[in-house]
Amino acid sequence: MSNDLVRARRDRVLDAMSDAGIDILVLGRQDNTGYACGMRRLWTAGTRPFGAGCIVVASTQRVHALSSWEDGIEPPMTFDDLYPLTWNPRIMAASMAGIDGLAGAGRIGVDELTPSFRRAAAGFAPRAEIVPADDLMARIRLHKLPGEIEAIASACTAAWIGVDAALGAAGGTDPAAAAIEALAGVGVTIPSSGVHVERRGEGLAIDIGVLCDLYEGGVGGVFVEGRRSNSAALVDACRVGATHADLSGAATTGGWLVRGLGMGFERPVIGPRIGAGERLEAGMVLSVADGDRRDAVHVTEGGPVVLSQRR
Amino acid sequence: MGVQRLDRLRAQMRAQGVDGAVLMHGPHVTYATGHVPAAVDSSHANHQRAVAIVGAADGPARLHAHDRAGEAAAGVAEVGDPLWPELDGGAAALESAIADVLGDVTGCRLAVDAVTGAMARAGVLDGAELVDAGRVLVPARVVKTEDELACIDQSQRHTERAMEAARAACVPGATRTEVAGAFLAALRDRDPEPGLGYRNGIDPIFQPMPTRRDGGIRTSTGHVAFPTGVDNPVLAEGDLIWVDAGVGYHGYMSDFGRTWVVGRAPTAAEQSLFDRWKAVLDASLAAVRAGATLGDIGRAARTVEPHDTPWLPQFYLAHGTGLESAEMPMIGTDLGPAFDDAYVLEPGMVLVFEPVTWTDGVGGYRAEEIVAVTDDGWRPLGGGHHFEPFRS
Repeated sequence: MSNDLVRARRDRVLDAMSDAGIDILVLGRQDNTGYACGMRRLWTAGTRPFGAGCIVVASTQRVHALSSWEDGIEPPMTFDDLYPLTWNPRIMAASMAGIDGLAGAGRIGVDELTPSFRRAAAGFAPRAEIVPADDLMARIRLHKLPGEIEAIASACTAAWIGVDAALGAAGGTDPAAAAIEALAGVGVTIPSSGVHVERRGEGLAIDIGVLCDLYEGGVGGVFVEGRRSNSAALVDACRVGATHADLSGAATTGGWLVRGLGMGFERPVIGPRIGAGERLEAGMVLSVADGDRRDAVHVTEGGPVVLSQRR
Repeated sequence: MGVQRLDRLRAQMRAQGVDGAVLMHGPHVTYATGHVPAAVDSSHANHQRAVAIVGAADGPARLHAHDRAGEAAAGVAEVGDPLWPELDGGAAALESAIADVLGDVTGCRLAVDAVTGAMARAGVLDGAELVDAGRVLVPARVVKTEDELACIDQSQRHTERAMEAARAACVPGATRTEVAGAFLAALRDRDPEPGLGYRNGIDPIFQPMPTRRDGGIRTSTGHVAFPTGVDNPVLAEGDLIWVDAGVGYHGYMSDFGRTWVVGRAPTAAEQSLFDRWKAVLDASLAAVRAGATLGDIGRAARTVEPHDTPWLPQFYLAHGTGLESAEMPMIGTDLGPAFDDAYVLEPGMVLVFEPVTWTDGVGGYRAEEIVAVTDDGWRPLGGGHHFEPFRS
C-alpha cells in the first residue's frame, strides 16, 4: 500500500476530529483502525468484541495501536506508538494512562461502546465525555481518495481471478475450491463476503468478495458460457443524486442491495428495507447487487464507473 | 444442545439479576439461538449483524438474522426480520424489537454486547442499567455440554484432515498463501454443505520463525512475534513453520497448531525441542482433573522447564475453545498467579495446550492439543495425539 495513502487517510481523520471538537478517537473496528493507521492485522471471521484497537490523539497528532510487535504498521507510526496485547484490564488501563494527551481529554469519540469501556474510561480520562464517532468515521470514508479507487479496482481484478478459476474448473472438480486456490496463488486468502458458487440452470452463479491490502473487491453474476447474463440496470442508476426510489425503480429483483464498498462493508446502505433517506454522492464507491449480479461502482459527476470491469 | 445452552444462559441471568440480554456478538447469538452467522469479514458481520434478544423468563429467544436463519434450533428461537443496528435508519426497528421481547426496559438490568453509535444517538436502551454480556455468557459457556464437545471434536478432526493437504503443499518455494489455499480448498472436501458445514475462522497461519528470539521483528514481549500472519513469505528449505488455524462446526472452533520443517527431516537439535515440548505437555496433562486449579497446571508445566516459561509471554500455556477459538479458562496469562490459583477446573471445560519450547539458535517447537476435563482427568478431542513431530 502506498504510504501517501496511509498519510492522507490519517490527515482526514485528524481534520475531522478537529472539526468535530473531538480530542481522542478510540477505534475498535478493524476497518476503522486500518483506515486511521494502515495497520494490517491477522484476519478473523465475524464480529469482535469492542476494545481499544487504535487511539488517535488530536493534541499530539499521534496514532497509537494495540500490538505487541512492529508488524503490519506503516509510517509515520512507529514501534513507540504501540501498546501491548494484554488479558488484564488493569494493565490495559495503565497502557491507556501512558498515552500522552489521554488523561486530560474533554471529549472521547468511540466507534462502538461497551459498559466496561465506559467504566474504564472514567478511570483513565476522568473528565472526558464519551460520544459516538462511528458517524464521523463513516462520513470520512464515504468519499474515496484516488488511491483508494485504485486499491478497490485492483482488489476487483483479484476477484476476477477467482471467477475465471471457478469457470475453468474441470468437470467433477469443485469450482469454489478452484477459485480459492487460484486466489491464494496470487496472495489473496482473506474473504470479505467470501467465495460462493452454485449451479444455476445452464449457468454458474458466482459471487466473490475478497480483501487485498485492506481494500475490498467483489463481483458476482450468473455466468453462462463465460458471460454474465443478468441485467446491469441498477448499475446505470447509480448516479449523483439518485434516491432510494430511483434505485428501487431500477432494480430488477427483490433482492437488491447498494452499499458502500471500501475497507469492507461501508455506508451508505440502501436496500428494500433500509436507507430511505439516502442520496448518492460523487466519490462514493458502491457494491451494487441486484439478485445474483454484483458490481463495484464508482459514482462520479460523469456517471457510474464500473471498477469491477473484467480486464 | 440449543435448549441446554439457553437454560444455562438464563440461569446466569437470574443468578446475576439480569432482566434481559441484547446480543450482537456472533458467538453470543449462536449460544442463545443456535444461529451461526456467516464467517465473513468483521465489517460485513457488523453491518449485517444477527441480533438475539433474550428475556429472563422461559420461552424462545428472539433471533433477527440477515443470512439463512434455518439453523436456529426449533423451540429455542423465534425468527424476526433482519435488523441494522449500525445504521441510524435501523435504530427504530431495533428499539421496537427489544420492546416487543423485553417490554419497557427503563430501570431494567440488561446484558449487552455493544451500544452502536446509532443506538446511542437514538437513545435505544437509555434508562436501562447496562452490563457487559460477557458477564453472563462467559460463565454459561465455559462448561460444555456433550453436544458441544462433540462439535469441537468433529471440527478438530476435519481440520486435521484438511491440514494433510497443507502439509503436502508446504515445500521449498511455496508461498504462505499457496499452502493456505491448499488447506482452505481441502476444508470443502467431505463437507456435506461445502463452505457452510465447516467455516474457516482465521486466515491460516504458516509462519516461518526466526531461530533466535531477537532474530525477527521487534516485540515488547522479549520473545518472538507470533502470530503475525499478514505477509506472504516464500518458504525455504529448513524453515521452521509454526502452523495455526481454526475452523468452526456449528460455530465450535477447532484449533490446530504444529511446527513443520520445510523440505528436510528435523535435526537432532530440533527433535530435542519436540521432546521437551512433549514433556511439558505430559506434565501439564498429568495435573488436569476436575478440582485442580489453573495454577496447579501452570506449575506442573514449569517443573520440566524450570529455567524458561514454556509458553509465549503474551499468551498462555492453555486456553479454552468453544464458540470462540481462545476463551476461558486460560492458564498462565498476565491475569497473574492469583487469578490462576482461584480458578478451579470443572468436568466439561476444554483446554487447548500450546506450550512452546525454545533454544536460541535452533528455534522453537509449538503445537496444540485439545482435551476435555473429566472427573478424574481428561479425554482427547480430535484425532491428533499421534505426535509425529514436524510431519503432521
